[in-house]
Amino acid sequence: MNTTVVLFLVLYYVVVLGIGFWAMRRGAGHDLEGFLLGGRKIGPLVTALTLQSTSMSGFMFLGAGALGYVEGYWALWYAAGDIGGGVVNLSVIGRRMRKFSQLTGALTSIEYLETRYPSSAIRLIAGGLTVFLLGVYVLAQFIAGGKGMALVTGLPYSVALLVAVGVILLYTFLGGYLAVAFTDFFQSLVMIVGVVWIAIAALIEVGGLGAANRAIAELDPTLLSVWGRGLGYEGQWGIALGAVLIFSIGYMGWPHVVTRHMAMERPATARRAGAYATGWNLLFVSTPYLVGILAIVILPELGDPEMAIFEVAGHLLPTAVTGLVMAAIMAAIMSTADSLLLQTGSIASRDLYQRFVNPEASERQMVWVSRGLVLLIGVVGYVVALVQPPTVFGIIIFVTSILGSAFLPAYFCAVWWKKANTPGALVSMVTGATVALVWELVGLASVTSLHPMLAGLGSSTLAMVVVSLATQRVAPVAPHILAAMDEASLVGGR
Amino acid sequence: MFDLPLSTTLLVFGFPAFWILYTLVFLFVTRRWERDAPDKEDRP
Repeated sequence: MNTTVVLFLVLYYVVVLGIGFWAMRRGAGHDLEGFLLGGRKIGPLVTALTLQSTSMSGFMFLGAGALGYVEGYWALWYAAGDIGGGVVNLSVIGRRMRKFSQLTGALTSIEYLETRYPSSAIRLIAGGLTVFLLGVYVLAQFIAGGKGMALVTGLPYSVALLVAVGVILLYTFLGGYLAVAFTDFFQSLVMIVGVVWIAIAALIEVGGLGAANRAIAELDPTLLSVWGRGLGYEGQWGIALGAVLIFSIGYMGWPHVVTRHMAMERPATARRAGAYATGWNLLFVSTPYLVGILAIVILPELGDPEMAIFEVAGHLLPTAVTGLVMAAIMAAIMSTADSLLLQTGSIASRDLYQRFVNPEASERQMVWVSRGLVLLIGVVGYVVALVQPPTVFGIIIFVTSILGSAFLPAYFCAVWWKKANTPGALVSMVTGATVALVWELVGLASVTSLHPMLAGLGSSTLAMVVVSLATQRVAPVAPHILAAMDEASLVGGR
Repeated sequence: MFDLPLSTTLLVFGFPAFWILYTLVFLFVTRRWERDAPDKEDRP
């Protein structure tokens, strides 16, 4: 066990727990809006950074580095879209979603869908799908956090997992969304410092980017191309486009991410938050992929590509800085896990328990039900993570593809298309989720050269348009919803 | 640039440049948004 690394981690945990206590003292648990949305008083900088750090999970330190190491510059197709993901999300739906959700009193991203597309089936299907998918996603983050902690501290996996999950649970339980947003803010700064530090050290080691590229060309010139090792993806524009779309417009379909819009202090917050998001992304998003690419030169015999960033850090940085890098990795994992946990708990409490089991529950009761469900999901996640189901980490990418495919047209059309109605949204969600799932499971991506995200999104969009238009007479959009859409589109009262 | 093929250079530097431009245009066309006062919205 390395004492310096452990000290960094302990310091990091103390800070995030301190933020949790601070959020609780600021009244985060006084009412349901306070617990689930931080009282809708989150400013632009925190909005931007919680949105970005929630979107960037432990995948950025494990998967992104591995992709760069294995496929070279082809990996940057994913970064290409990701850099604009925040500003696209905020510019397209941020402001209108904030206004519409407050006008209709929606407190969760699923309740928002039901207020726009009134039907208990919407809440049941969307809530059930989200709780399941986010549950799998949070489980994968727990496993990654436990493994990372065990690796650097030398603790047994079960104990390391308990520490990682316990810290996340405690501050989420105490401070709700306010704690999650402000810990995400802190964690996003740690992530930036950590990853940029490794990248600078790696660039110095290889003598600059030009020298690194010349060295890579000597090993395998195809790694410098946009089509991957051995030109394995040559001409597959459907895959490349899907890679760009999954992390650019795909975010607009992620329920745990779009909740950030609803918590902004005012609709115009989306404007400056968009600029901050782009600034953070320009520094962060491409860097883990780049470190993976540089690792081809630094560690050509690396056994496990997922360890590329860990190994480069261990190889090049002094111990104290390795501790900071480890904190950055934990920050990436925890900033996603806390949002997933809170979102899953809030949907289970507000959209399933209160909607279908106990509609008469008071505000105070619901805060405690939300806390209880966060705790329950965390404990169940811990127990399942102990056995480390082998397929869980592998399905993260298509969990995000399914979320984007299922919900993107519903969220987008909610504020932009007045003809989008309940049958259209229902069929769109079910079709998008099914097509993306089947595409991935059956392996249609390699046969058709079409990314599952692109296939799922295409089908859900088509379903939304066709079914909404076909059912306008039998299921027209209610006048009060049209009025709220009009109000949400107005700027400055005009 | 940096001994990369042209297509890779476009991928590495073209997309970030596009997003910077997108953000600047977004800030310009939405400058009226600031007129939405925080206390203007009616709570349900």
